[in-house]
Parts: sequence; C-alpha cells; structure tokens
Amino acid sequence: MRFSTFATLVALATLIASPLASRAADEAAEEAGSPARIELFPQSIQLTGVRQQMQLVVTGFYEDGTVRDLTRLAEYTTADGQVAEVEGSVVRPRADGGTQITATVAGQSASATVEVRGQQQPDPVSFVNGALAALSKQGCNAGACHGSPSGKGGFRLSLRAFDPELDKLTLIREDFGRRTNPLDPDASLLLAKPLMKVPHGGGRQMTSQDAAYEVLRDWIAEGCRLDAAEQPHCVRLEVFPPSGRVLQRPAQRQQLCVLAHFSDGSIRDVTPLAVFTSSDTEVATVDAHGLVDGLDRGETAIVVRYLEFIETTSLTFVRDIPGYVWNDPPVNNYIDQHVHRKLQQLKYLPSETCTDDEFLRRVYLDVIGLLPTVDQTREFLADQAPDKRARAIDSLLERPEFAKFWALKWGDLLRLTSSQVGPDGVYKYHRWLEQSLRDNVPYDQFARQLLTSVGSTLDNPPANFYRTAVDTNDCVETVSQVFLGARLQCAKCHNHPFERWTQDNYYGMAAFFNRVQRQKTRRDGELFIFAVAGGEVTQPRTGKQMKPWLPQQGELSEVVAGDRRQLFADWLTRPDNPYFARIEVNRIWSQLLGRGIVEPADDFRDSNPPCNAELLDALAEDFVQHGFDRRHIVRIILNSRTYQASFRPNEFNESDEKYFSHYRPRMLSAEQLLDAICQATGVDEPLGPLPAGTKATQLPAPDLVKHEFLKTFGQPERQTVCACERSSESNLGMAIQFFNGSLLYNKLRDANNRFRKLIAEGKTDDEIIGQMYLAAVCRLPSEEELQAARAHLQSKPDRLEGLEDVNWAVINTNEFLFQH
Amino acid sequence: MRNWTIVAFRSAKVASARTSFPAGSNPDARYFRGAKGDCLRSLLCIFALLAFASWARADEEVSFRRDVAPLLLDNCLACHGPKKAEGGWRVDSFERLMQAGASEAPGFVAGDVDSSEAFRRMISDDEAERMPLDGDPLPAEQLALIRRWIESGAKYDAEDPKSPLATIVPPPTHPAAPESYAHPLPITALAFSPDGQTLVAGGYHELTVWNAADGQLARRIGNVGQRTYVLAFSPDGSQIVAGGGSPGRLGETRIYDAATGELLKVLGTTGDVVLDVAWDPAGKRLATAAADGVIRVYEMPAGEEKLTLTSHSDWVTAVAWSDDGTRLASASRDKTAKVFDVEKGELLVTYSGHAQPVRGVAFHPEGKEVYSSGADNKLHRWQIADGKKTADVGFGGEVFKLVRGGDFLLASSADKTVRQFDAKSHQQVRSYSGHTDWALSVAWHAGSQRLASGGFNGEVRIWNVQDGSQVVGFTAAPGLPRP
Repeated sequence: MRFSTFATLVALATLIASPLASRAADEAAEEAGSPARIELFPQSIQLTGVRQQMQLVVTGFYEDGTVRDLTRLAEYTTADGQVAEVEGSVVRPRADGGTQITATVAGQSASATVEVRGQQQPDPVSFVNGALAALSKQGCNAGACHGSPSGKGGFRLSLRAFDPELDKLTLIREDFGRRTNPLDPDASLLLAKPLMKVPHGGGRQMTSQDAAYEVLRDWIAEGCRLDAAEQPHCVRLEVFPPSGRVLQRPAQRQQLCVLAHFSDGSIRDVTPLAVFTSSDTEVATVDAHGLVDGLDRGETAIVVRYLEFIETTSLTFVRDIPGYVWNDPPVNNYIDQHVHRKLQQLKYLPSETCTDDEFLRRVYLDVIGLLPTVDQTREFLADQAPDKRARAIDSLLERPEFAKFWALKWGDLLRLTSSQVGPDGVYKYHRWLEQSLRDNVPYDQFARQLLTSVGSTLDNPPANFYRTAVDTNDCVETVSQVFLGARLQCAKCHNHPFERWTQDNYYGMAAFFNRVQRQKTRRDGELFIFAVAGGEVTQPRTGKQMKPWLPQQGELSEVVAGDRRQLFADWLTRPDNPYFARIEVNRIWSQLLGRGIVEPADDFRDSNPPCNAELLDALAEDFVQHGFDRRHIVRIILNSRTYQASFRPNEFNESDEKYFSHYRPRMLSAEQLLDAICQATGVDEPLGPLPAGTKATQLPAPDLVKHEFLKTFGQPERQTVCACERSSESNLGMAIQFFNGSLLYNKLRDANNRFRKLIAEGKTDDEIIGQMYLAAVCRLPSEEELQAARAHLQSKPDRLEGLEDVNWAVINTNEFLFQH
Repeated sequence: MRNWTIVAFRSAKVASARTSFPAGSNPDARYFRGAKGDCLRSLLCIFALLAFASWARADEEVSFRRDVAPLLLDNCLACHGPKKAEGGWRVDSFERLMQAGASEAPGFVAGDVDSSEAFRRMISDDEAERMPLDGDPLPAEQLALIRRWIESGAKYDAEDPKSPLATIVPPPTHPAAPESYAHPLPITALAFSPDGQTLVAGGYHELTVWNAADGQLARRIGNVGQRTYVLAFSPDGSQIVAGGGSPGRLGETRIYDAATGELLKVLGTTGDVVLDVAWDPAGKRLATAAADGVIRVYEMPAGEEKLTLTSHSDWVTAVAWSDDGTRLASASRDKTAKVFDVEKGELLVTYSGHAQPVRGVAFHPEGKEVYSSGADNKLHRWQIADGKKTADVGFGGEVFKLVRGGDFLLASSADKTVRQFDAKSHQQVRSYSGHTDWALSVAWHAGSQRLASGGFNGEVRIWNVQDGSQVVGFTAAPGLPRP
C-alpha cells in the first residue's frame, strides 16, 4: 500500500518536474543569451587555511557592448577535485596543492588558477574578523537591538562592533560567561537565542545554515579565543564588480564578491560575513549572500560593510520601454548634456521647456525670493527677443534682493539668531553675509573668513561662526555638515554606523578646533575669539591623544603648534578637495531645482550616492575653474534647459522622481509665501522692529519677529546647521491659514489693497481680474477662469465682496502656493 | 465668514482645470517570478508528510506532564509565552494552551485532532503557517505523541491547570558531564564539607569534590544542570544544595545526598537560572534568588514554597538572612538591593546607591545595616531604617557575591583578589592575591581556618586564614592539567 502510494507520487513528481525543469532551462538560456566571451573573477585564487573560500563571479560580454552576470548559470569544473571544489559558485579548499577551475556557460568558458595551502594547520576563528563580523552580519549589534546604548534584555553589544574590548567582556565574561559555552557550543545562549531555541525578544535572526552560525559556533567551540596582537587586521575592502556596471534586461541580477585585504597582504573572501544594503530598494534589492536583484530602471549603490570598513558599488539597471524613442532635445549648456545622457540611458524623455510665465515666476522666486510685479511680468511676456530669459537671469542676479534672499539661506546654515549671536551682533553678521553675496566674494574666501576668524564678534562678524559653534565638538559637527556634507554627530560617541567616519576621525578633526577660545568682553553682546598656542584632544574611549586628522589625508605627520585652523582651511579650499566644491554646487542645485543631485543636500555619504555623478563633477569643476564663483553657478543652472523644463510630465517621464526630466513643483517657503501674499494683494506686512517695506525673505533672523504665519509654514528656528530644519511638511495649520486665517482676511479687506485701488482707478472687472492673476501667478486668466469669475461677481450683490472672493480663490490655487 | 466656502469649491475646480501636478509615480510592472519555487515546495511537503506516517509507541499511555509539556516548552514557548504571544495564543499553562488564539480555533480539542488548531499547524503543508514558523518541523515521533495525547482525550495529569508548564514538567535527568574538560569552567560556586576535608565546586553538569589538603579530585556528582551558581550544605551537613540550571532555559535548586551523591529533591523549577540560595540561621527555611527576578522561601525539609517575593525587576543575584532570621536582604541586576520582612512578606527598604547591577549582599552582625557589592566596583554599607549609605570600600574591579563567615565578611572581585573584612567595622583584615583571573566565588570553613576562592579561569585556591598563605591551588576541571 505504502509502496504503491510512493510510486504514484514519484511518477507525479516526475510529471510535474519535467516541464518545470525545461522551463527553467529555457529561462536560463534566455538569461545567458549568446555572449561573445566570458570572464571569471578572480583570475588567481589563494586559499590559505581551512576556513577560506572564494565567491566566483562570471561575467558575459556581448556583441552589442552589454554585460551580464552569469555566475548562477555557469557550470564549474575543477581539474583536481582533491585540491578544491566548487559548491554553487563558491570555491572551497580540500587539500594543499594547485589546480584550475573552469566556468562554462552558453558555449563559452574561462578559467582561474587555485592555490590551496595550510589545510593541515589549525585555523582558529578570529574574534574580531570572524565572531564580531558574524554578529554584525546578523544585525545583533544594530542600533535598534543589542547595539543600542543600553542593550536589549540585559545584553549589550557595541554598535556595529566598534568597541571589541567591551564586546569581549560581554560575550565571554559577563554574568559568569553565561552566553558562550565552549563545553557545549550549541547550548550557548549566543546561538540558541537567535535560532529561537530559547525565547528571544528579537525573534529568529539566524538559521543553522547561515555562515555566521558556523563562525560563531566554531569560535565558541575553540574556547572563545581572543586575537593575538599580531593577528592580521583588515585594511580595506574590494567589491567586484566595481561601480559603473550597467545591466540591461533580461540581465537583472548581479552576484557580488567582497574581498578583504589584510595587513599581512592576504586577501580573503568575506562575502558571507559582509552586510549588504541597497541605497534605493525600489531599483534593486540585495540579499544576505550579496546577490543583487534589479526591480526597476535606475541606479542604486550597494553598500557593503565588513567590520568598520565600508565600500560601495553602484549598479545601473536599464530596460527597453515600448515606444520610447530619444527625441534629441536641444541643449543649452553642459548641464543639459549630462542630464540628457542619464535620461537617455534610463530611457526617460525630458519634458518640454516651460512657458514664459512659468519661467518668470520660477526664476524670480529662486533668485530674489519675490514674485515679479505686474509691470515686470507684462514687459517680459511682451518681449519677443530670443535671449530674453538669459537677460532676465542676468539682471536678477544684479538686484540687491538677490544678496538679501540668499543671505536668508546661509543664515539658516550659520544659525543667525538674535539669541545665539546677540541683538546687535545678528545685524552685523547678517550685513556681512549679505555684503559677501552682493560682492560675490569667492566661496573659498568666504569659507576661510569664517573658519579662521579671530577678534571681536562685533568688529569682525564672521567670528560669530565660533560663537554659534559653542565648543570644539560643535565646531567639528558644524564644519563637517556645512562644508563637508557629512553628519558626524554619531561619531562623537561611536563609529558612524553606516559610514566610514570613525570616532577617531571625529576627535582627529577636533584637534583643529580645540584651541579656539571664546571670551566675554566688557562690551555688551561682544565675544572675543582667539586661539591659544597649545592644547590637545583626547579620544574619550581610548584615552589616546589625537593628532589632527583630515579626510583622505590622514593624520598630520608633524606636530603643529599654534592655531591649526589655517591648515584646515588650506586643505578645505584646495581645488582638488573632493568635498568643498561639490557640497556647495549641490546645495545651490538643490535650492534651484528643489532636490539635490545628492539628496538630502547636506548628507554626502557612500550609501547616499549622487543621482548623476558626472553632472555633480562637472558643476564642481566649473565652480573651481571660475574661482569658486557662486553667482556663475547659479547663472549656468538657471540658463540650462533642465532648469527651464516644464513641470508637466510626459508619457515617458512621469515615473521619474530624481533624474530631473521635469521640474519638481514645490511649495513656496514660509517667507516667500508671506511676501507673495503681500505682492498679490498689494498690502505689505509689518515685521516687528524692522523698517517698513522689509520683506520676510530679507529677515536677518527668525527670532527678531515672532510671526505665526511664518512659523506655521516651516520657518526654521535655526537651532541646528541641518538644512532639514526648514520643514517642507504640510500641516493642518497651513490649510487653516489659507482658508480663513486672519492674515489673508485682513489683506483682502484692506482699504488700500490692489483691487480696491483698481476700483478707485475705475478699472473694469475684467481688468481687475486680469491684474489679480498677473500679480499672483504671472499670467492672465484663461477664458474659462474669466467666465467663472464673472459669473461669481454677477451672483453677488456687492462688487467688493465678489472681488474679495475671486482674489481669495486665486490665492488659494496650487498654482499660487507652488513654485512650478 | 460669509459664503467663501462655495467660492473655494469653485476655485478648486478652476485651478484643477488648468494645473495638474504630478502625484506619485506609477510603479512599473514587476516581472513575475517564483511560480516554480512554490510548486517544488508543495511537492516536498507531500514527501515530508508521507514520512510522518504513524511511528509512535502505541503501547503506553501518553502523559501531558512528561511527554507533551516538555515538547511545547521547547518548541512553542519562545513565541507563544507571556513575553511574546504570537497570534494571541500562549502555551505557558494548560489552561491557556487549550484556549483559542486570534484565529478563534482552540489550540487543542480533546479527542479531535482535526479541530486542534495548534496540531493542525504543526503538520500543515503550507510553510507560511507550519509551526514552528521558520523552523524545522517537529520530528515524526514527537508529532505522533501529541496526536495520541489528543486522541486519548487531551488529559491534564497535574494539579492546577493554571500552573506554568515549567513548574509541572518532571525535573529533567541531566546529561552526563564530560569525562574530561576541553576548557576550564568559571568557578562560580564553592562549598566546604562540614568536616573541612573536601571542597565542592560547580562543574559542567556535575559537582566536583576535591581534597582540601592537596586539591586532588575525590568524587564527581552527576545529574546536575549545566551550570551551578551556588552551593550550600544543609545545617546538619548531610545534604548539598546546588542552585543553577541552564542559562535562558531552566533554573532549579537541587538537593543531593552528601554521602552518596544521590538526587533527593528538586525545588521550584523556573525559566532561568538560580543564582543564590541561603539557609536561615535555624536551618528551617531555604531562600533562593533566581534570574526570573523572584525570591522564593521554602520550608524545609518539606520543600514547600512559603513566600514568593517579586519586587525586583531584573535578576536577583544574591540573597541573605539576618542573624535573627526575621529579615531577608537581596541584590539584583536591577541596580538595587532590598530588605524584606519575612514574616509579613513586606518590602522594608530599597537601596539604589550602586547605580549599577548589584552582585552580593550580607547583613551586618547587628542587623541594622546591610552590606552590598556590585558592578560599581564597591562594597557599600547602608542602614535599613532609611536606606542611607554609611560607608563604602573601593575595589579595582566588579565585586561579586559576599560571604559572611562569623565575624568576617568576604568579598571576591574582578580585581583578582579576595578580601576579608571585619564584619562589624568593615575594616580590611586581609587581602588574598594570587589569582590570575577574576575571583568569582569564595567559601569559608571555620573549623580548619581555611578559605577557598574560585576564578573565572577555573582556578581554585585554598588559603590559610591565619596567615594568608596559599595552601594549594589547582584547576577544578577534570582532565585539565594544574596551572
């Protein structure tokens, strides 16, 4: 009975399995295609010790210039199976000796040599390179789990294993060695908990098939050995394939191989213990084995972490879009060339160029923060010259409001507030800032003036930089965020969890700023900034005295006496500094386009790559070549077709959110909006003690005037240097302000507002409505809009009331609220 | 404000006629994948089911306590317990496991295998619901046992259906200790025999007995939990009390015949290890402290649980009786030490002065003050009346359990020393140095004037209290050489 059942099942299984198998074979054949040749990585493999292995990667090269990852499709043979074997696509050693491995797929083959040694010697698991890396791999020491400052469930690990000394105590010794059990490794809590053999608050985090399990189990079985002082340590990671690979469907998967280079010159495959994350999981995901799976067209950076080492590789996924044809749109300058190259690769089409009225409103808001007047709009719309946009840009950049408006943006970053800089100081600092922008002081000089400032904060306003950055740590965090685009706060207490910044780096940078002193003087509101000759920084965790350290330069070799800020400024403003120019051009770009090439604009890191690296590089290079001329960069961006693209998407770019194929509409900032309402209604808003006529976009500091409307619409307090402090979230308060807020109501009721003046001048309804539209949205109403407004006026016995309604309605359109 | 609303409605229409802003993107259709994987998986399940075909021992009656409860504890409690009740279903007591969870189907139904939701899921083909989720299915013979228990009426063969399962399962017979140790074990528990001739140490799944004079292994007592954290002879010297268990899984206090090594009794099984025990001065009551955060007081020799104190919010690491037997003091990983009135079962005072986990506790001979030690590397002396500190003594590392020996107070520390204090004045009498690793445990024998200390690296050292000299030192791990 049982046998017959079994036979039936086997027959059934065969029936089901055979079409499955042939379908799988078809799919594999389609995925492999017909490569012209294949390559096997690595070419030469050394496996020293029984624990070593090597992840192979097979790449197919095709006639049309494309490449595909064929790792999973290839068949592998070993010349001498006694020496090494391939399991899946991983080479494992068997015995000392040499052999050759051959990968074969789609009629092509490629070989690699294998040298195996040390199979007779013990190869104990390293505490740091093995056990701690395994805990990181499984996420045990992540910030939300046992890596949190107080641990979880009484078990605390250092965040991402940055402090092996602490972890040593916790894993081996704490609570009488409760967690590791060398006499019966599988009974160890360290294994039983993540396997959920014992209740574990974090749930199941490991299986007995995981590489991390084997590493941890063996480490425990070997007696929880610690590393000897001469234990080779990792010095860098190498990820194959390196950045830049483009995969075109049907190719959509990519196996990665992660090699760790050790201090003794050895290279080990650490793919099984590396942690993989994808910067854009809509584009591609990556699994624990380093297999990337492309989901959508676009680019993603795969961030690979092993211990404190981080490497990224960027992959681009493309596919054919039915009906897509590149229409070769015109280019205005190099920006468009770079943007179009990316769009063409990803098969997006840029939107049409925006209309004149859209352009004028957009460029006014971006350059001077204000809407054009009715006359300015009329004049521009009437102008027929082909270069009128370029001329408009040039003349706006010369307007004094340009400096005033951009001083607001820098005021956010430099934390200009009366409470932090003093009631007199804030005006002086603001005036200095505005003057720098008006004079177009080169950005390197501007930065240098801030960073190396000394003396009275009242006589030398840039010295306020050290007034708002109240201590050494604040200096490190401010300088790195503003000028290096790096959020370094995490590294104050531990190595940055996602980035290459370490705690040592943090305090190494601090050694440039620790000698700055801040002293109160007898003069009211004055602080005197100076640097003392000596003083060093101690790393709080290691107790080590830190030498000044610079990114990509390392520690300064010689001991530098006196003020070290000059050295920092020298390095920062060097033309080849990889951060300085890029961060600033990206900041300008994000202010003009509503989204950075790196986004958020002040968060540069490997795991947050630029969406168009060539564009960023080109802008930075242009910036450096033009002597750090910020106005030049603003001008070149504004003149690009990319900036002038319509916000209306087309069939081939509506899904694009980040490659600038169309303009991104964004709500006006709090200050712009207040000024725009004043402009649209023709009624100014008094701003506290500031002279009449002062615009909200020209406020030196948010705490000089407490204005509810500005707060509601996200005016920042300027408590941090983070650009994120300026909120762009919408909230109910905003809706209420526009629906029936007193500010708008009073302006519409004002006896001297725009439409009342026009009535007094004897204008017709149509003329008044036309002006309302021109003032608010830079265009005349459409026929349909005009009809609707007329109809409303006719339904009202009171003309004034009707016009109020119409004006209110125009101001309540998205077209008014948004820059588009 | 008049009828602006109407206009607003109109204006929205006007605006949308002209301006439509792009909302979120259209997700591109994702390529369909994974169909064949599902087919293969269900095929495998068919084979797996086939392999389950009845296998069980058909002859004897299935006992819930003995056969079923241990399986549920091992395989289900992790996700279906008081800490984490996945699907709203819990197995921590018989009453609960018979009830329905969120699915509204009862876990088990007497005599009805098909309606027993828990069992249905254990044998399900569908990996998405097959229990244990993400784990390997239960072996066929275990499933057969559960099936037979349901078929034979799903009977409960313990007293209170509300009792935690952990307390009704019969005490386990522990695996044998390794013949010889591959690695030394931290010496967490030591006790001298009443005659001072031998020293008992906690081993791995055993107690090891050593000659106090020369450190030779005299005897091994088996059927002990993984680790032993405290050892104490009964007042008459005939029994050895061992507190310990398996970290994270089981805690128990086991009582052995000192002469034969035979297991006499197992007190109070708990979910995590027992860390300390203490006899009251009259030898009538035994207090235990465990990693489940509970202090229990048993009336001896009956072993009846008389008092349960749950005031601590984390492990209770140590417990001590006052000299008059009316008070209990406790130390805890919750960073406090406490004193209780035993008669009333009331908390008298909580001392938070360590601000770090507290490891040891002992009464001052006059009963008005308490000593406590902890991870702040200090010994504190404080008053019961107001919880105020009166003195502290610094160490070079964490201070573990405290031992009162008559007029002496002994403290072992991660600074590798054992220190002896006058219990009344807390003046240091002597420091015993020589350990090459943390000193974790200490024992005292008045008659022979000997003191024994155990280290993290498995070393045991026996000292002469009169002059502080070391009598003998050895590694208390069978099969490993002396240091």
